[in-house]
Amino acid sequence: MSTATPALEIENLTKTFGRIHAVDGLSLAIEPGQMAGFLGPNGAGKSTTLFMIPRLVRPTTGRIRVFGLDIWRDFKRAVRPVGTMVETPAFYEYLSGRLNLELTARLLAGVSARDIDEILERIGLAERQHDRVGTYSLGMKQRLGIGRAMLGRPRLLVLDEPTNGMDPEGTQELLEFLRGRVHADGLTIFISSHLMSEVEEFCDTVSVINRGRLVAAGNVKEILRPHENIVRVTFAGAAPEADSLARGDHIQQVSVLAPDTLEITLARGDAAWLNDHLHQSGFRISALAPKRKTLKEFFLDITGDKRHE
Amino acid sequence: MNSQLLPLLRNELAKAVRRKLPYFGIGVSGLLCWIIYLVADRVSSAASANAWGYIGFTMQLVFNDIGLIFLLVFSTMLLAEETGTGTIRAALAAPVDRWELYLAKAVTGLLYMVVLSTAVLLFAGALSKIHYNFGPVGDRFGVVYSRGMAARVFLMATLLSWIPLTALVMYGLLISTLIRSSGAAVSVGISTIYLIDFTKHLVGLDPYIFTKHIGYPWIVLQQAAQGVDFQWQPEVWKLLGLCSAHAVICFAVGLVIFLRQDLNE
Repeated sequence: MSTATPALEIENLTKTFGRIHAVDGLSLAIEPGQMAGFLGPNGAGKSTTLFMIPRLVRPTTGRIRVFGLDIWRDFKRAVRPVGTMVETPAFYEYLSGRLNLELTARLLAGVSARDIDEILERIGLAERQHDRVGTYSLGMKQRLGIGRAMLGRPRLLVLDEPTNGMDPEGTQELLEFLRGRVHADGLTIFISSHLMSEVEEFCDTVSVINRGRLVAAGNVKEILRPHENIVRVTFAGAAPEADSLARGDHIQQVSVLAPDTLEITLARGDAAWLNDHLHQSGFRISALAPKRKTLKEFFLDITGDKRHE
Repeated sequence: MNSQLLPLLRNELAKAVRRKLPYFGIGVSGLLCWIIYLVADRVSSAASANAWGYIGFTMQLVFNDIGLIFLLVFSTMLLAEETGTGTIRAALAAPVDRWELYLAKAVTGLLYMVVLSTAVLLFAGALSKIHYNFGPVGDRFGVVYSRGMAARVFLMATLLSWIPLTALVMYGLLISTLIRSSGAAVSVGISTIYLIDFTKHLVGLDPYIFTKHIGYPWIVLQQAAQGVDFQWQPEVWKLLGLCSAHAVICFAVGLVIFLRQDLNE
């Protein structure tokens, strides 16, 4: 277990709007150098949580620390290493993209014109930097928002749906770029997203909230570890009858996924046992692997039922 | 960490000089100066007496209506536009204290007040040079007020006129914190100030509303320009007390609201 000061530590955070508990006793910690996903259904409290990090929303109770500094006690020092993009980034539409970045740069000590050039180059807006933001597409504004969050070389990036409005190619490029910064610069990223595949592919850890409460958190690989007892088998040729297999103590259930593919739930044993068993029974197998849970399935498992409680 | 007030103020000015509204306000006020110049001798004996009288009359007229509206529009948009469009979130996500941003907004509003007022003075001064003079004030018996004396009254009127206008800007800023869309904030700001102004006599609030003092310094200048006996006191103390109190209360209430606001909408 790491003993380093967490990049972001949220402790018993609560926010109520009238009688609505938008965030309810949320606690989580993000270790430095991680890309951490933040998932939840609409209205789960993701954005409210992210809004509380730069004090845009006052928590009802609870604490937030950035690299050990309490944001309510030591705001300026705590927030200096944080780059934030919450919800759709808003800009002064009558100003150029570059001037919008310069306005933010003035508030962060040590950001030079060359740094702004570099950011504009990275986000692919160097050629349009002098155009008014009002003429930018949504995807361009999204990239400019990320560029603004990257100003001042932040150590923690807080991003709310950063790929909204971006095309698949741009999305992939951006996430690869962010992932690269995590590896190369040790940047920590706390990213909320609706796109499970983004989180699954790029994040190290994931926290899931529902109705303002943390319902799951952990390492993405751990959470999505394959089911040892559910095995997908593709046969060379037609698959055997499901009923003929679902006998005995070992095999609990057999589902037909395709004419040549079955999903077999084992009551005992594992994929190796099943492989031997099918082979000995005379079946020719072209592929056999434990079923891997997708993040979407995991997410629906833990939030789907609870939504209608 | 150091105060962010100066960088914030630079940002506010960088934004303001790229807007059309401040220039439009100056242009329309200049047009009004020209119209008053054309009709001055038909509407006021003070306005056609000399350059001091013309300037006093013009400033009173401009800032009782058009100038007041533009100052209100500018100040009510200072925060409301940013909360409405969401740009305030980017500003406050930086290492900036809210009071610093609020103060920078207030100073920007006051700077526009000074710029608009100075621009109208320059317009009026330039127009008055065509027809009138800035010499001593006299009547048929001779000089009543020397040129220096008239200039001192003019200077005093200019400085005093900024005090009720400061209260107006702070009122606009207060409305700007309360209402989170620029269009609605401007409508509420203008309609409430006119509602108060029209009804203050009816409900006996006239002595307590700062708007009554907006034209007062210029009325005194017009009296001096006509060579009649003019008095700053005791009204000037009421102007100072009432307008300062309004300005401070509006600023403080707006600041407290802004410091406690959730900016997630």
